[in-house]
Amino acid sequence: MIDTLVRRKGTEERHPEEPARTRSVPAGPLASALALALLVALTAAVSWGSTSIPAGEVWNVVWRRLCGEPPRPGTNDLIVWQLRVPRALLAALVGAGLGLVGTAMQALVRNPLADPYFLGISNGASLGAVAAIVLGLGTGGALGLGLSGAAFVGALATFALVWTVARRRGGFAPLRLVLAGVAIGQFLSGFTSYLVLQAGDEQQTHSVLFWLMGSLSGASWPLLAAPAVAVPVTLLWLQARARALNALIMGDETAAGLGVDAIRLRRELFTLTSLLTGVLVAVSGAIAFVALMVPHACRLVVGGDHRRLLPVSALFGALLLVVVDIVCRTAMETQELPVGVVTSLIGAPALLYLLDRRLGSGS
Amino acid sequence: MRIGIEDLHVAYAGRTVVAGAHLVAAEGEITGLVGPNGSGKSTLLRTVYRHLKPASGRVLLSGTDLRRLSPAEAARHVAALPQERGGDFELTVREVVAMGRTPYKRAFAGEDATDRDLVARALADVGMERHTGRRFTELSGGERQRVLLARAFAQQPDVLVLDEPTNHLDIRHQVELLALLRAQRRTTLVSLHDLNAAASVCDRLHVLHDGQVVASGPPRDVLQPALLAEVFGVRATVVDHPLTGDPLIAFDHRAPADAPDVRPVEPAGAGIPMSALSGGSGAGPGRSRR
Repeated sequence: MIDTLVRRKGTEERHPEEPARTRSVPAGPLASALALALLVALTAAVSWGSTSIPAGEVWNVVWRRLCGEPPRPGTNDLIVWQLRVPRALLAALVGAGLGLVGTAMQALVRNPLADPYFLGISNGASLGAVAAIVLGLGTGGALGLGLSGAAFVGALATFALVWTVARRRGGFAPLRLVLAGVAIGQFLSGFTSYLVLQAGDEQQTHSVLFWLMGSLSGASWPLLAAPAVAVPVTLLWLQARARALNALIMGDETAAGLGVDAIRLRRELFTLTSLLTGVLVAVSGAIAFVALMVPHACRLVVGGDHRRLLPVSALFGALLLVVVDIVCRTAMETQELPVGVVTSLIGAPALLYLLDRRLGSGS
Repeated sequence: MRIGIEDLHVAYAGRTVVAGAHLVAAEGEITGLVGPNGSGKSTLLRTVYRHLKPASGRVLLSGTDLRRLSPAEAARHVAALPQERGGDFELTVREVVAMGRTPYKRAFAGEDATDRDLVARALADVGMERHTGRRFTELSGGERQRVLLARAFAQQPDVLVLDEPTNHLDIRHQVELLALLRAQRRTTLVSLHDLNAAASVCDRLHVLHDGQVVASGPPRDVLQPALLAEVFGVRATVVDHPLTGDPLIAFDHRAPADAPDVRPVEPAGAGIPMSALSGGSGAGPGRSRR
């Protein structure tokens, strides 16, 4: 008996002697490495495809275009500049946007399982966009702003609905939130499929896949405008509030004690994440799992401090989606896969792992 | 700096929880807030750290209405240790403590030497300087409270507000935390569940009952058997603690104050079996008292 007591005491006092465990990866070098990797991936994305174009030629074309020089005849200028560069950039922007939306949404509902796709918000945005097309609102809009606007309204309305259903006594039970989101999301995506099929579009099947699974195949320079504005603005806005986000994930009372107006911050986050989700869905449909996985993966490496987490999530999200899109375009000879297929194949096991870790421990 | 609360009314979830409370937390003293569950302790404290808005009345920081300050300004004066526990977001001990600098930092501002120094000192003050890289959610209850206290220290506040900081801690960790508070000699407003802890740690006590302060003063003056019976509904006697000399409240754990007096007249040890002492006092005859 005495022996066990002594040994118990011994294990208790081991703690202070343990060397302090610190994050081994500093955020600065990691961000630089990610940025470099992103550049390489973007080059590969433009270079690889049905016609292979050497990396040197890719950069040559881009350089001439950027300098305003006329393209050299007989080159792959058109393929590079009109098809592949916009698509690679769209993948990067959407990926970065999803990384940011996931990070912000998880802080907003104080739940690491939050993600616009899981909470049904992407489905709401899809429904908004499809409704706009069916009603003839979106197609004529300048730079797809009408489409983005409709997707934003759909996202905001869905977010408000899921929020209301899942909220209980000022908090969210993780399972309750996810279940409410999945149920509402499924309902909305059923409605979206119905609308798309009713519209009698000649590319029906493709449209359904686009809005429900997510795809980057519609990429073009004009389509890049909205995300090219929305993603950097969101990053800056969130980065300016990184400390407040840290306080918010500890709880509303903690936030209040640290001088953060949690209600106002939450209202702003609510609008911002809905807006960005709307923009992203309008250009790429509802891409699953990226917004959920990216912040988690990044937290494991740089920790939970939003000052580091936000830029790293944006960069990693961009890199991930560019790479996934390369896989989608090159995996099969005859046709390309929607990005959502591949992100789901990677994301579903990742979610199961998270559920096991977060809910399985009984908390 | 001191905290003055004047005729404070606070509504929470549609009902008035604090109804006309007056109290003062004097500079450099530990001011305790005690009262039964639902008496309004947490609500009152939440109003002091500005989580809740008063329906009427004021919270004064050395004469300045706290509501007239910006949230960040107020947080530079008043630091809180609320009861909530954050979600699991992989924050390290150091990151949690560094949050204390939030009210001093502008957007995009990084950590400077002052911040680093204050965070390091706060960690050392609570004895957690060797645990900076550990995940906050991995800590034991006692360690967690110490880290949150360090965060409050890093905030360089004039006033510390703590809502039941010893809740869910084992007795050793309760003692450690309270000793830490005592050693700091800061202006502190703390709600405590444990009346004996309050009696030995606090310089002054305020007793809350149904949202009002019904008694104030040094613990020995406030914690009288009559008040304990009326406010807490328990029977107790107050003696001197044999070790510390602090007031020690000895509760009668067998029956509440309003139960009919069924005590045996004869003292224990007069040949009466132990089981007879509890006979008929509500414990039931079947209860074994070995």
